[in-house]
Parts: sequence; structure tokens; C-alpha cells
Amino acid sequence: MASAFRDPFNPDHRLSSGCSCGEHASQADHDQAAALGGTDDLAARLAETAIVKAVFGADPARRAFLRTVGTSTALAALSQFFPLAAAREAMAQAPGPLEKKDLKIGFIPITCATPIIMAHPMGFYSKNGLNAEVVRTAGWAVIRDKTLNKEYDAAHMLSPMPLAITMGAGSNPIPYTMPAVENINGQAITLAVKHKDKNDPKQWKGFKFAVPFDYSMHNYLLRYYLAEAGLDPDTDVQIRAVPPPEMVANLRADNIDGFLAPDPVNQRAVYDGVGFIHILSKAIWDGHPCCAFAASREFVTTMPNTYQALLKSIIEATAFATKAENRKQIAEVIAGQNYLNQPVTVVEQVLTGTYADGLGNVKRDANRIDFDPFPYQSMAIWILTQMKRWGQIKGDVNYKQVAEQVFLATDATKLMREAGLTPPAMSSKKHVIMGKEFDPAKPDEYIASFRIKRS
Amino acid sequence: MRSLALRSALLSAAIFLLFIGIWQVSSMSGGGGSQVVDDEYARLVGAAAATGQKTPFPSPSEVGAKLWQHLSDPFYVRGTNDMGIGIQLAYSIARVAGGYLLAAAFAIPVGFLIGMSPLLYGALNPYIQILRPISPLAWMPLALYTIKDSSISSIFVIFICSVWPMLINTAFGVASVRREWTNVARTLEVGPLRTAFRVILPAAAPTIMTGMRISIGIAWLVIVAAEMLVGGTGIGYFVWNEWNNLSLSSILVAILSIGLVGMALDQGLARLTRLVTYQE
Amino acid sequence: MSEKPFISIEGIAKRFGAQVVFEDVHFGVRQGEFVALIGHSGCGKTTILNVLAGLDQPDSGAVLVGNDAISGPSLDRAVIFQSHALLPWLSAIGNISFAVRSRWPKWDGEAVRSHCQRYIDLVGLTGAETKRPAQLSGGMKQRVGIARALAIHPKMLLMDEPFSALDALTRGVLQDEVLRLCAATHQTVFMITHDVDEAILLADRIVLMTNGPYAKVAEIVVNTLPRERSRHDVHKHPHYYRIRNHIVDFLVERSRRFDEDRPRDYDPMHPPEVRPGLGEPPPPAPLRAVT
Ligand SMILES: Nc1ncnc2c1ncn2[C@@H]1O[C@H](COP(=O)(O)OP(=O)(O)OP(=O)(O)O)[C@@H](O)[C@H]1O
Ligand SMILES: [Mg+2]
Repeated sequence: MASAFRDPFNPDHRLSSGCSCGEHASQADHDQAAALGGTDDLAARLAETAIVKAVFGADPARRAFLRTVGTSTALAALSQFFPLAAAREAMAQAPGPLEKKDLKIGFIPITCATPIIMAHPMGFYSKNGLNAEVVRTAGWAVIRDKTLNKEYDAAHMLSPMPLAITMGAGSNPIPYTMPAVENINGQAITLAVKHKDKNDPKQWKGFKFAVPFDYSMHNYLLRYYLAEAGLDPDTDVQIRAVPPPEMVANLRADNIDGFLAPDPVNQRAVYDGVGFIHILSKAIWDGHPCCAFAASREFVTTMPNTYQALLKSIIEATAFATKAENRKQIAEVIAGQNYLNQPVTVVEQVLTGTYADGLGNVKRDANRIDFDPFPYQSMAIWILTQMKRWGQIKGDVNYKQVAEQVFLATDATKLMREAGLTPPAMSSKKHVIMGKEFDPAKPDEYIASFRIKRS
Repeated sequence: MRSLALRSALLSAAIFLLFIGIWQVSSMSGGGGSQVVDDEYARLVGAAAATGQKTPFPSPSEVGAKLWQHLSDPFYVRGTNDMGIGIQLAYSIARVAGGYLLAAAFAIPVGFLIGMSPLLYGALNPYIQILRPISPLAWMPLALYTIKDSSISSIFVIFICSVWPMLINTAFGVASVRREWTNVARTLEVGPLRTAFRVILPAAAPTIMTGMRISIGIAWLVIVAAEMLVGGTGIGYFVWNEWNNLSLSSILVAILSIGLVGMALDQGLARLTRLVTYQE
Repeated sequence: MSEKPFISIEGIAKRFGAQVVFEDVHFGVRQGEFVALIGHSGCGKTTILNVLAGLDQPDSGAVLVGNDAISGPSLDRAVIFQSHALLPWLSAIGNISFAVRSRWPKWDGEAVRSHCQRYIDLVGLTGAETKRPAQLSGGMKQRVGIARALAIHPKMLLMDEPFSALDALTRGVLQDEVLRLCAATHQTVFMITHDVDEAILLADRIVLMTNGPYAKVAEIVVNTLPRERSRHDVHKHPHYYRIRNHIVDFLVERSRRFDEDRPRDYDPMHPPEVRPGLGEPPPPAPLRAVT
């Protein structure tokens, strides 16, 4: 259940329920608030709630009163002897002043960024007092550089990127944080239509594949999948980094045989009759993280209130996106020119999981993509093991320490609770990838257990 | 003379129509198969995919419709990531103008000094020769890293690509001003500043303008690539964005407008060049 | 014509690398005098003129104006260049006013304009003021060059083969022009020429240079023709062919062999002044092309 700001004049709500401000209500209320939501409204409600609470004390009394006189009458009555307006203003500043309100957040136009994107048109940022601008960006290297340059306050990244930036792989080490995962699953392996009979990866020797970035789950998942089929991803096939928008064009031009890509690229290949979806990434690892919401450690420490408000917006948006019934609406909002710039049906197929597979079949899988903000540190450790496995990082790695530094599970736990989500009790867990268990406590043994590896 | 111009205009138009005609006919022949999948599937994919084909190259009529769509509302702003083609062109032109004018403000005085002084010429020539052939886009990561601002970085890239032709041409133009003209100034006891502005500058102006014309061409080529790389705003970003959406019609519209603006910039400078050109 | 020269060349020499173009060159030009310099191509005439103009420095020796060695170009010594050297982006009047403004920077536009117009009229270019050099004929260009030089009221005029690029007809007209102007203004002039007739027509004294390298002043021919001359009848004067034959003989024969059979009393500091017009004409020169 995501957060909502409770209407104190709604007699059916208990004001003292589980959240810190005592404002949260049902999902339905939340949706409404989200759609309408503005800071002023929220602050106003907050102020009114405080007064109502002070006047009536216990919930039963308030409920009884409101039932009898009606909400608007109650508000009018109260405002006669309470300076509601003044109280509202006072409360508006209450949650701790935001260090910065005008934020720029970069995103890559793929469905992984759904929470970051939708939080803009659906008002999750403004609801938390932020005037955020979401800026479509051309590529992962650019988004990284613009974030490092502080042109962006925070950004959509591939979840391995904050680890790589922190470790200094591919650039100078800069302390980076990843307070929230955005999505889980939601990727796929797409092959050119001419390969529609080659359903066994063992037949893929000599293929050329594209992944969006070297430091991406896509790269690690594809390598994992190929290696499990006995193909060495470095010698038996070619894998290169290709920006998502170029993937379909390259597939069409026969420059590549397939890709493991974020959506809507896969669905777009199907839409244009260029490729077919071989498997969804959830078939490799159900629940794998993909993209993430990332910010520099400097931002987190110098602007704690802004950071909290921002993370709260993202987590609330993520919670909203988790609900299957909201997906169609989200698809419509984010497919537009200002965001993903894709045909609505393509985005909708990705988000709803009812999709054409490129071979003439309509498939249904509600969990094709899901949204779960919790940054399990075990995920970070798995990513680090794969970086090590494929030689992207060398030497001894203090897996646990890096994971804890970058994947900020504590913040997410707190805010997920505030957003009415249930955070997991543990920040690490065992994962199962293609039937093989990964124990985050034993990363080195895990790497050693693979036959095909570079280290 | 008049009839020659008329005839070439007619021929131009004929070539255009022929080209469009062939394009239209060939793009029509490809499509039009019958649906090979069930209706539910057909709703989920593009029209071509439903008939078992790949989405074809757009026909001229589709491109024309897109062109009309973009031209009928070129200056709208509907969000950070959604602005009209006119606005995007304006961003690109502003960036090019910024980098280009900075480059001119730097290259012309410095080129002047280099051209005047064989010592400086000898000292700086190796650097110029090494720096000049570097693709301006290769500077982009370095610029982003050191300048830490993407729009200033693209202006810097424009600066760096347009500075060399202007610098080299100015130095060359100044160095090769005919000795007798400077001698005229010397026998008239003309001061160094007046000599620079009244003799050397006009004498070297055609060469300098040639450099400036080469530069504006390069700058316009580079801005499109730089914006595709860095994104945000500009016609290059527009192309990238439409590529992202695989909208070839919009890309063709962008290509057309890039060509037209490039031609306008070049013609503008050609006109200026004509103003300062003299016959010996 | 005072005896003390207005400008005197004191033993100048010029080297380019190891090659000594000329050395020990001495002569002077007096106030109001017209001196012509004749010598074979490459003997260093233009170099000498450049030194006089201050555009070039001699490797040794000096050029004195009054008692001071010249240190650089001066508005007092206007140059008419061999190749006219007009600024091609300026009109005829623009070229002249560029010079006039350099001479009198404080003049207002109208003063400059009317002054320039006077000189345009003087050289007979009325109507062609706004034309660019490229639109002018060779003769017209050279007239603009002359107007530009005269307009700044120089104390001395230095001319480097001003008419050599022109056809015979135009050259004749311009020679008349110069003759007229010099007679009117008593302008001090130093002129380089290849044309013996031109030298005799215009000059008071004619400096003869030997061939380079190591060129020097062999002798100075005093033109004994009366000052009032005209192109049409100058050759009718009895001195004319004596002077002419003397110079042609020098150019054809003696300029080459000067070092071998130079007079015993030859002193480069005081090159002999000869007056062939007064004496018997030397034997006619053998039929050889003048180079
Ligand atoms: N800058 C220079 N460097 C080297 N040698 C030079 C230079 N200028 C002139 N010379 C040489 O000096 C000599 C004299 O040149 P100058 O131009 O004075 O000859 P000139 O008598 O004027 O010949 P002409 O009658 O053909 O004009 C020539 O042999 C020429 O090659
Ligand atoms: Mg000469």
C-alpha cells in the first residue's frame, strides 16, 4: 500500500495509524492525491489534521462529530475559532526546509525509468515539495557525466553503474549511492526474425549481440545465460555496447543477431516486425534488479531533506507502479513525446505484460516488469561477483562494504515504511538464477563455481 | 542567360519530381500484403508486422505530412523533452553562433599575431598542426569532464572545431599580404594599428573570410553530432530523439532542415566574403 | 641648385648571404635636382632605392639627409613603386586620401577630399575617382601612384622604373606629365630607369652603375641639354646623341668590363662626372642588343 495523505475530515480513517505524519490513507485516496497533489494541498491537510487532532483528541470523538455535522460544516466551524490559514502556513515548513527545490533528474527513455518519469506528470515530485524536471538523456555515459558534473541532481542509472563509479571502473572513483532500485525484470532477449528457428542458445555460436552498456545487468545476464548454455561470451559470440535506440536499427540492418535490451526496445522490434522475443529476462532471474535511482554521496549528505523528499517521491511512484491496475494509465502518460516518445501500445504491452512475441503469439505475463524499490545488498554483491567474473574489476573486493556503501537499504526501508510498503526484514537474501542459488555470504566460492570465467 | 537559368530551374524541378515519383512508387510496391496473424495480435504490432513484414522506409507523402506537421507548429514547448523543430533549430544555431563567434574573437587576433611574426608562426605551428586534425567530437568527453557543463561543452566543441580554419587562414592571409602594400604604409609613416586595420586586415580579409566560411560549415556539421551525443536540446538531439522513436519521416524532415540552415549560413558568409573581396 | 646635396649616399654596400650586390656606392642628389640611375638588371638599383626610402638597411655605409643618417621611411620621401602598389580594395581617390590622411591626420573630411581632387585633376584622372585599381588601365594606375606621391608634398620623390610596364604611347604622355610637374614644382627626384631616352629627357644627372655582383657607380653623366626640353625635339639637340651614345656604350661594353679596365685614378668616393654632350662623341657602339 502506497502513501496517501489522509483527509482528516474523512470519518472512516484513523488518524494515528502506522505512519509518521499520521496522514496516510487508502490507496484510492492516495491515487487521487497523487493525481491532484500539490505541496500546498498536503501542507494544508497536515495543518488541518493537527488541529482536528488537537480539538478532538481521540479518533472516536472526531468520527462521531464529523458523521453528525458533515465535513464541510466541520471545517467551517473549526475555522471560526482556529486560524486555519495561519496554521497551514506554519505546517508547510514543518518537515524541515528543503535545501533545494528545483531539481534536474536525468533519464534514459526506457520503461525501466517508469517511476522516475511518471513521478513528474503524476505529481509525485510536486507532492513532496519538489519542482523537478525530468530530462531525457542520450546515453549512459552522458547521464553519468552529467550527474558527475552536477548538471543533474540525481539520475536514472543501470544498477551496476553506481558500483562501477564508486569502484572507479571506467572512470575516477567517486562515492556514489543507490538509494532505490526502480524496476525488477522487464528486459528480454530479442533475436532477429531470421533466427526464429534457433531457440536453443547452443545454436548461437558466432552471433553478434548488443547490450546497452558494459556495466549493465543486461551484459551480466546475457553472459550468464550464454555461459550456462556452454558458450563463452568473450570468444564464442561478440557482445558490444549499443545505445538502446540504435539496437532496432542495427537488428534491422543485420549488424547484430540479437540483443538483451531494456524495454520498450524489445517490444519495438516486434512492433516493427524486425525481431522476436526469445525469452524475458525474468526467465533467467525472476526478480533481478535492473535500473536504479542514483545520486552522488555528496548530494545525499549536503542536502538531506531534499534527498529524503526525492527518494520519497520515487518510492511512492514505485509503489503506485507496482499495482497492475495502474499500469495502463501509466503507459499512456509516459509514452508521450515528452517522455518515452513511443507508440502507446508498445509501452502498454511492456507494462501490462500482455504482448505480441514477434512470432504471432500473444503472451500474458503480468510480472514481465515489476517495480520494487528495495536495494538488496545481496544484489549488489551478485553484480560485483559478475564484474569480477568477467574481469571488469581485479584484485580483492570487499563485497559487503562496497554493497553497503552504495546500496542504501536503510533509507529505503524507512521511506518504504512511510509509503505504506512493507520493506523486507533483511537487506540481503539468497537469489536463484537459472536454478542456481547465490549465497551473498560466499561470493568468492560462487565465482569459483563457474566453469566459464575470466578470473 | 535568362533562359539558361530558367531551363536549369525546370531541369531541377524535373529531377526532384522524378526522384519523388520513383521513391513514392517503390515505397508503395513493398507494402500491402494480407494479414497473417489473428486480430488480437495485429492490434499489438505495427501495420507491416501484422502482414509479416518489416516497417518500410517512409514514402514521400508520409514525409510530406510530417514536414507539414512540424512546420505548422515549429515553436511549441510542451515540456523539457518535447519542443518544436523551430525551437530545436534555434538552440543549435545559438550554440553554433556562440562557439563560432568566440572562435572568431580568438582566432582572428591570434592568427593576426602569428601571421605578423615568423617567430610565433614557427613556435606555434607544430601545435596547430597536431591539434587541427583532431576530430572535434573527440574533445567532447574531455570537455564534459573539465568544463562540467554539457551546453558549454558543446559550445567549446564548436569553438575548437571552428578555430583552426580561421586561425590558419588568418595567419596565412596576414603573412602573405603583399610586401609592397605594407611598404606603402611604411613610406607613409602609418602607425602599426592603422596599418593593421587599414592595410593588412582588408588585404587578408578574403582569405580570413574563406576560413570563416569553412569554419561555419564544420561547426554546423559538428553541432548536430555533438547534440546527438550530449542531448538535451538542439536539432541533433531532435534527430536522436526521433531515431529513438524510429521515426524516419521526422529524421528526414530534420535532415532537410539541417541542410537548409547549413546552406543559409554558408550563403550568408559567401555574401559577406563577396563584400570584402577585391580584384588585384 | 645648391652644391650641398639634399640627400647623400655614403659608401653603402648590400649583401644577400655571401653575395655582395654592390659596395662603396657614393653619390648625392641636390635640392631640386632630377637624378636618374641606369644599370643592368640585377645590379641593385631597387635595393638602393629601398635604402633611400628607408625600407631597407645597407650593410655598411649610410644615407644622410642634411647631417643625419636616415633611420626609416619618411613622409618626406615619397615612393612611386615599380608595380604601382595601389591598395586594390580602395578607389583611386581612396588610395590618395589614405596617403593624405597619413600626412595630415587632423584634416577634416572635406579638406582631404578637395586636396585629393586637386591631385586627381593634376594627373588627369578626373571622372575616374571612384574606380578601383582593377578597373583602371596600367597608365591610369601609375597616374594614381604619382598623384598619391605628390599629394603628400614630399621633399623628395623616389621612382622605381615608373613607366617600364607601360606601352610606348602612354609612357610618352606620362613622361611629359612628369617633366611638366617637375618644372612647375622644382621637385627633387631620384628615378631608376632602363630607358636611356627617358633618362636624357628627364634627368639633370645620370648615375651609371656597373654590373653586379660588386656593382659600383662607374661615373655620373651630367646632362648638358638645356632644362626646357620636350619629347618631340630633344633629340634634335647636338648634345643628345653624344650623351646617348656614351651611355649606350657604357651599358653595352664598359659596364661589364669596368673592373678590368677602370681608369687608374678611379675613386669610388668621387665617381667621375663626365659631360659627353660637350665633347666629341665616342665611336658608335657595336651592334649588340642592349640587355
Ligand atoms: N631579399 C633578397 N634576398 C636575396 N637576394 C636579393 C633580395 N633582393 C634582391 N636580391 C638580389 O639582389 C640583387 C639586386 O636586386 P635588385 O632588385 O636591387 O636589382 P635591380 O637592379 O633593381 O634589378 P631590376 O632592374 O631587374 O629591377 C639581385 O641579384 C637580386 O637577386
Ligand atoms: Mg628593380
